[in-house]
Amino acid sequence: MQVKKECVAMLLAGGQGTRLGALTRKVAKPAVPFGGKYRIIDFTLSNTINSDIDTIGVLTQYQPFDLNQYIGNGQPWDLDRLEGGAFVLPPYQKAKSGEWYKGTANAIYQNIDFVDRYSADYVLILSGDHIYKMDYNKMLQYHIAKGADCTIAVQNVPIEEASRFGIMNTDADDRIFEFEEKPKQPKSTKASMGIYIFTWAKLKKYLIEDEANKNSHNDFGKNIIPNMLNDGEKMYTYDFKGYWKDVGTISSLWEANMDILDVSSGINLSDADWKIYARNTAEPPHFVSAGAKISNSVVSEGCVVEGTIINSIISRGAKIKKGAIVQDSIVMPNAIVGEGATVNHSIVGWNANIEGGAKVGEYQEKAIAGEWQIAVVGPNVNVKAGDVVKAGAMLEEDN
Amino acid sequence: MNKKMLAILFASGNESKLNELTLHRTTASLPFAGRYRLIDFALSSLVNSGITRIGIITRNNYSSLMDHIRMGRDWDLNRKNSGIAVFPPFGLNTSRDVYKGKIEALYTVLDYMERAPEDYVCVSNCNIASNIDLEGILEEHIARGADVTMLCHKANVTSSKRVIITKNESDLVTDLCQVEIPSSEEKLVSLNIYVMRKALLTSWIEQAYARGYVDFEKDILFREVENGRIYAKEITSYAAIVDDVKTYYNESMKVLNEEVRTQLFETGRKVYTKVKDSVPTIYGEKANVSGSLIADGCVINGTVENSILFRDVRIEEGAVVKNSIIMEHGVVMKDGQISYAITDKSVVIGAGRQISGSEDYPIVIVKNKKV
Repeated sequence: MQVKKECVAMLLAGGQGTRLGALTRKVAKPAVPFGGKYRIIDFTLSNTINSDIDTIGVLTQYQPFDLNQYIGNGQPWDLDRLEGGAFVLPPYQKAKSGEWYKGTANAIYQNIDFVDRYSADYVLILSGDHIYKMDYNKMLQYHIAKGADCTIAVQNVPIEEASRFGIMNTDADDRIFEFEEKPKQPKSTKASMGIYIFTWAKLKKYLIEDEANKNSHNDFGKNIIPNMLNDGEKMYTYDFKGYWKDVGTISSLWEANMDILDVSSGINLSDADWKIYARNTAEPPHFVSAGAKISNSVVSEGCVVEGTIINSIISRGAKIKKGAIVQDSIVMPNAIVGEGATVNHSIVGWNANIEGGAKVGEYQEKAIAGEWQIAVVGPNVNVKAGDVVKAGAMLEEDN
Repeated sequence: MNKKMLAILFASGNESKLNELTLHRTTASLPFAGRYRLIDFALSSLVNSGITRIGIITRNNYSSLMDHIRMGRDWDLNRKNSGIAVFPPFGLNTSRDVYKGKIEALYTVLDYMERAPEDYVCVSNCNIASNIDLEGILEEHIARGADVTMLCHKANVTSSKRVIITKNESDLVTDLCQVEIPSSEEKLVSLNIYVMRKALLTSWIEQAYARGYVDFEKDILFREVENGRIYAKEITSYAAIVDDVKTYYNESMKVLNEEVRTQLFETGRKVYTKVKDSVPTIYGEKANVSGSLIADGCVINGTVENSILFRDVRIEEGAVVKNSIIMEHGVVMKDGQISYAITDKSVVIGAGRQISGSEDYPIVIVKNKKV
């Protein structure tokens, strides 16, 4: 008999993240580097342990090797536990059937035994592609106090943007009476953050019913939540006011990285009471040579900076050579920007090599959120000396 | 015969000459090169050479060392078999004090050594920063049929008490001596790292202890030279011996040299340390940094030249840091100026204050001091 866990977290990390293009060709979206030394998934994993939830299943399916290796036994997040901890849960063969995760709800359905093993009363459903700091335990206490069957975390978004989100329409007590996916005429500004707490017994019942329905998409947003609403289950919204960003597109990934440089954005990574943990790669401190110039930027361990860096995120082990200028860009781990190369409004993937004098991306004064023309040099791509990569272009490794 | 080796490290040594820097810590836990403690270099060299049974003998002030090492996980040394064993000061029944020299210290761990399955032992001080492949050295040691292989490097003898080696063309040690007077001449200097057969070491220690000997070098090695089985192995890559404030400062500054950093960090054998999960360093609009080694977690908005900043250091606007070493959590407030200084952990240099040592005599500011 396992030790009982009041709440078990299930992290949906199986999505391909097609909109990130070259960046997710070989790794799952949650494994994409972020903020100099992190991966996107570090935020949800760190939130989980910081919320005193120590049992988490990470559901992987697409390109899982990198993510599996990264999570390992969960030690960097203090998730290597005698009872509980971090578990990578890929689809597996069962006695009567065996299949890929068909949808988000099916992924949880296939792991009912995992949750049951810990006799969990509640299940926290998370996705691995959001940047935010959130105390899930506060949400859980709210869920319990409301006597809810399901609690959905929501953010207030500007009404003009509401039609891009799943919108929750609630009564004065925050009880949800209607859910609209990307409504043309939004009635509320409460956008779902894709973070749910369910009372497990209730969710289990709906997962089993949903699985029996051959026409279902086996998806939380399309099936489980509407079905529960139709049946009049007790469903509430939970207001979250801090920084939160979906980094599902190149533009939003770039914007979220840039938010680190903007104190007013609210994403403070230096909060000693809410550390974001990452697997460490044992690199020396970074070195800034004579003649280098760095302003309003983040530079990580293992970097060697000889050139100029302005408004940029330079990830661990990256090298910025003499005369190179990196501006408003993200340089991912171990990438090299060669002598005299310029990189502007770009994302340079891990291990990419920009040879001397190449020109990547173009300076942009301003753009509407989500519509920056960010040039992407994919992981391991070599940009030849003197080559020009246009704004918004995406270079991929040949296969 | 089992070719494997265990290691015995001495966490203490030379504290008296490191003055304020080792007031609260062992030499082994002295911060070095921005994010490390000196012992990280010894531990990483050992682990990267496949040596995973490591005993650390402590003498005093070892709580900072325990806090740093914990179970040894950051060096992959939290093993079911082998791993790290820290020996707190251990008074023998026959003596009231803790051990006096290496011979007594090694005598207290004879049981530990004898119980270990390894046939060879590496004995090392912890005041050395270097990245050494001990696997190759052991191979050579065995092939030569040596009693002892002493690691050494060519260096100016800047401080006393260093053991000077004379060897012939086949690396056989022909003379050992200890100079009392420093000279600027380049000599072959012992790194105080020894590779030997375990059974030989234990028998030497038992005999030396019985005779009341104290000094491992003078009382054992110097005498053994004439038996002609002590070999010297020269380390040609960077190796620092830190035994006083001056060498600490000079060797730290050498790490700003690209070649030195390559030899320490780019060997394919990583240097591990305790993971602290600091955020990457943030440079403000007014930052002006050159020729410096900067650890994670710093916030820089002033000028930093030819200096080393450890983790979580804050340099405010208008502040100027030159030729200095600022340890963890140090702060130089607005318009503060500091040069040729070593500030220990959590030192705060107040707004507008100016502090200056000289190249020959860097000023040391003790832990937690507010200037």
